[in-house]
Amino acid sequence: MGPYPCGSAATGWEGGRSEAPCAAPEIDGLLAGAGYRVRSSDLCHVAQRLERLESAMVGSSGNHVDFAHPASDAVHYNPSDLAAWVDSMLSELAPADPGPARHAPAPDAWEDQIYSQPQRAVAARMEEEEDSGIRLVHLLMSSADAIQRGDVALAGSLIDEMRLLLTRVNTGFGIGKVAGYFVDALTRRLFSASSAAAASGSPAEYEILYHHFYEASPYLKFAHFTANQAILEAFEGHDRVHVIDFSLMHGLQWPALIQALALRPGGPPALRLTGIGPPSPDGRDSLREIGLRLAELARSVRVRFAFRGVAANRLDDVRPWMLQVAPGEAVAVNSVMQLHRLLSDPDSPGPAPIDSVLAWIRGLRPKIITVVEQEADHNKPGFLDRFTEALFYYSTVFDSLEAGRASCSGAQQQQSTAVAEVYLQREIRDIVCCEGPDRAERHEPLMRWRARMIRAGLRPVHLGSNAFKQARMLLTLFSGEGYCVEEVDGCLTLGWHSRPLIAASAWRADDFDEDARPIPDNFIFNSISNTNESNSSINNNAAMLRRRNSNNNNSRSSDSSSQQESIHGM
Amino acid sequence: MAGSNEVNANESKMAVPLNTWVLISNFKLAYNMLRRPDGTFNRHLAEFLDRKVQANATPVNGVLSFDQLIDRSTNLLVRIYRPAPVPDSEDPQTSPSSATSSIFSSLISPPSPDPFPVIIFFHGGSFAHSSANTAIYDSLCRRFVSLCNAVVVSVNYRRSPEYRYPCAYDDGYAALKWASAQPWLHSGKDSKLRVFLSGDSSGGNIAHHVAIRAIESGLTISGNILLNPMFGGQTRTESEERLDGKYFVTLQDRDWYWKAFLPEGADRDHPACNPFGPNGIDLKGLPYPKSLVVIAGLDLIQDWQLAFVEGLKKADQDVKFVYREQATIGFYLLPNTDHFHEVMEEIKCFVSSNC
Repeated sequence: MGPYPCGSAATGWEGGRSEAPCAAPEIDGLLAGAGYRVRSSDLCHVAQRLERLESAMVGSSGNHVDFAHPASDAVHYNPSDLAAWVDSMLSELAPADPGPARHAPAPDAWEDQIYSQPQRAVAARMEEEEDSGIRLVHLLMSSADAIQRGDVALAGSLIDEMRLLLTRVNTGFGIGKVAGYFVDALTRRLFSASSAAAASGSPAEYEILYHHFYEASPYLKFAHFTANQAILEAFEGHDRVHVIDFSLMHGLQWPALIQALALRPGGPPALRLTGIGPPSPDGRDSLREIGLRLAELARSVRVRFAFRGVAANRLDDVRPWMLQVAPGEAVAVNSVMQLHRLLSDPDSPGPAPIDSVLAWIRGLRPKIITVVEQEADHNKPGFLDRFTEALFYYSTVFDSLEAGRASCSGAQQQQSTAVAEVYLQREIRDIVCCEGPDRAERHEPLMRWRARMIRAGLRPVHLGSNAFKQARMLLTLFSGEGYCVEEVDGCLTLGWHSRPLIAASAWRADDFDEDARPIPDNFIFNSISNTNESNSSINNNAAMLRRRNSNNNNSRSSDSSSQQESIHGM
Repeated sequence: MAGSNEVNANESKMAVPLNTWVLISNFKLAYNMLRRPDGTFNRHLAEFLDRKVQANATPVNGVLSFDQLIDRSTNLLVRIYRPAPVPDSEDPQTSPSSATSSIFSSLISPPSPDPFPVIIFFHGGSFAHSSANTAIYDSLCRRFVSLCNAVVVSVNYRRSPEYRYPCAYDDGYAALKWASAQPWLHSGKDSKLRVFLSGDSSGGNIAHHVAIRAIESGLTISGNILLNPMFGGQTRTESEERLDGKYFVTLQDRDWYWKAFLPEGADRDHPACNPFGPNGIDLKGLPYPKSLVVIAGLDLIQDWQLAFVEGLKKADQDVKFVYREQATIGFYLLPNTDHFHEVMEEIKCFVSSNC
């Protein structure tokens, strides 16, 4: 406090005495006259907190009137202590303090008005943190740029500077946390012997990370839910159905589908599930174990069930005959965040593995192909571009995780969030450290996937308003209300605060002539560059396909060689 | 969205001193919490958050205040501010040591033998917020006393949405009638009530409408002082669109307050809101008081305020209009800008020349 031992500044206004306050020099006298006690040195800090409070109050529509009034349930402390009141409102409305990257730095116009004091306390610390956050982002960009130009020395010194800065910021949340992961990835890129650093860890470990990511956030649940909806609808009217899962993991997606099929009006079909996954190194057959568990569940709900595991390290090692698609069964191909691994560098010549895989998928004539991918462009050839895109993408994902963690109470949930971050860290490392065939996380945006699927001769299936509404309802199970489900041309995306992060789409290839050639490139040009007329050209081509194929001939001979055991339920 | 908030915050920060920005932004956010989308208002929380001060009959800087209930049927309170009474030391009967001297009678003694103005003040708050004992208005009224050697009567009128039009006007007129029945407020050789109606924001609107009622009942008003008076209309004006959300105020909140004040089903061309609009009355030839209208150049409703001034001029009424180009709403709340000091001078001149 100041040298003046005057008590009225502290107590005068509670009693409502209308004296001019004998203010200790720190208290702003004019605000005191208005009934608010604020230290002059805190004015800047209080102003910033007010700005944050406003941001926290403004809903997604930018609409103050729609503000959902949790303030009426909030406890309001002494409003005269303005700094404390604003802080208490902020903690009610924005429990996870968002990263400073979203807030403007303190404007220059106020620097004159900040009184210099030996202890700037909270105001100064807040400013420093915000400044550090912005500095971190700048340093990250600069080091990525240095790496792209081959200036290893500069990149190294920038990384040192960032490490130092990270000791001064809060790395528990926000930009500090994400920056930490990216600095780690940059370090590995510069100083690790091989670029295959990201591929550390066994498949079993990866499955555990995946499971925690599934628990800690709605992204995978959204993926499974929307895919299952589409599969369920595609299977209507079919007695024998076959789901091919491109990455079985712990089979988390399938109990819900099995149960939904069990409840189908008219009775469940006979369900076959073929799960593709990496081979188990230690002689265990983890695919089989998961199959057994799912068979047990199917038996309990009286669904005829058969499981086959296909062990393959890469999807392009799989051959269609391994899947043993039988004549007359309705086929669903399900790929959750797998197809991007089959892409190559955009500027490398020749076909990418994705092309042959899409070709044999098409050859299976599936009733439905469900594709879920990260909604980001992490396959850009330029390192700086890719790095920048990833920084903002993963910042957003981390923000959403943080909001989820702040609003949940269970210790287990908190732990899941921590492990989920490790899951994401692997992706970050892959994108930042790996080049060429070592890089697996080649995420591409929905628009490009759609073009690719159409080019491969697959027809889009509208995900439907039912799926949309139900996906939205699913999200109400999660607090941290920042998630948004959007529908884009029959595809669904889930995002955080209007940034889509994951996109689900559905396709089919069951109703055309086997000999029909794939649709020519100029069709894709029409469909993605000229949205006004795209509908008409798609309609024209669809009509052309229907005319060409009046006989839907599903018969195929299948190879009899089988490499894996199959497991039958029931 | 978050970006545009930053832009707006930066613009408004450039326009006002830091403590003013903190004060008005705090009001803005607190008020946002009080308005509900269904048109109801969190009155309980509003009263809790409002910074109020008690009346003080002990002079502070030469000004004292006391509250009076002037209408029991509506619980209408006014807070009266006046210069400290000068004790008559020559008259032994009124000396302070007299055991029978009545404190109250000294309170309601005329402040001076010479003519003095009585300013009836209606606080702002868009018809919904604040009270006569709100700290910011207590300060302003005290300043008017010193500035103009006036007695200020601050009216605690009934607020919306609980009490819609015309309650605030009824209360304002009741206060005027009360003042005209107080002998101690009459001054000069002709023992006249030299009354000015004044107010900021919604208070300015009330002052205008009370002046019209005064005409109808034959009471003479010496002058109207309107600070950023709150008017509006159904159409959207250029200033509303240009300044929406930029300087603490949004069109959306303006619409909410009108909806809360005007009768159900009325639109903003109701004459309470738009006195010179399609439903307005013609003031030509009527003894409407001289007006001083102060308009802030960064107030989004200035086009309506300018239309009000035009309306008065077209009706051949005497209006002095002061336009402070760089001022925002609430500039008169803290004495930390030229706008504040220069406008106070204008008010002083206006009152003294019309008293």
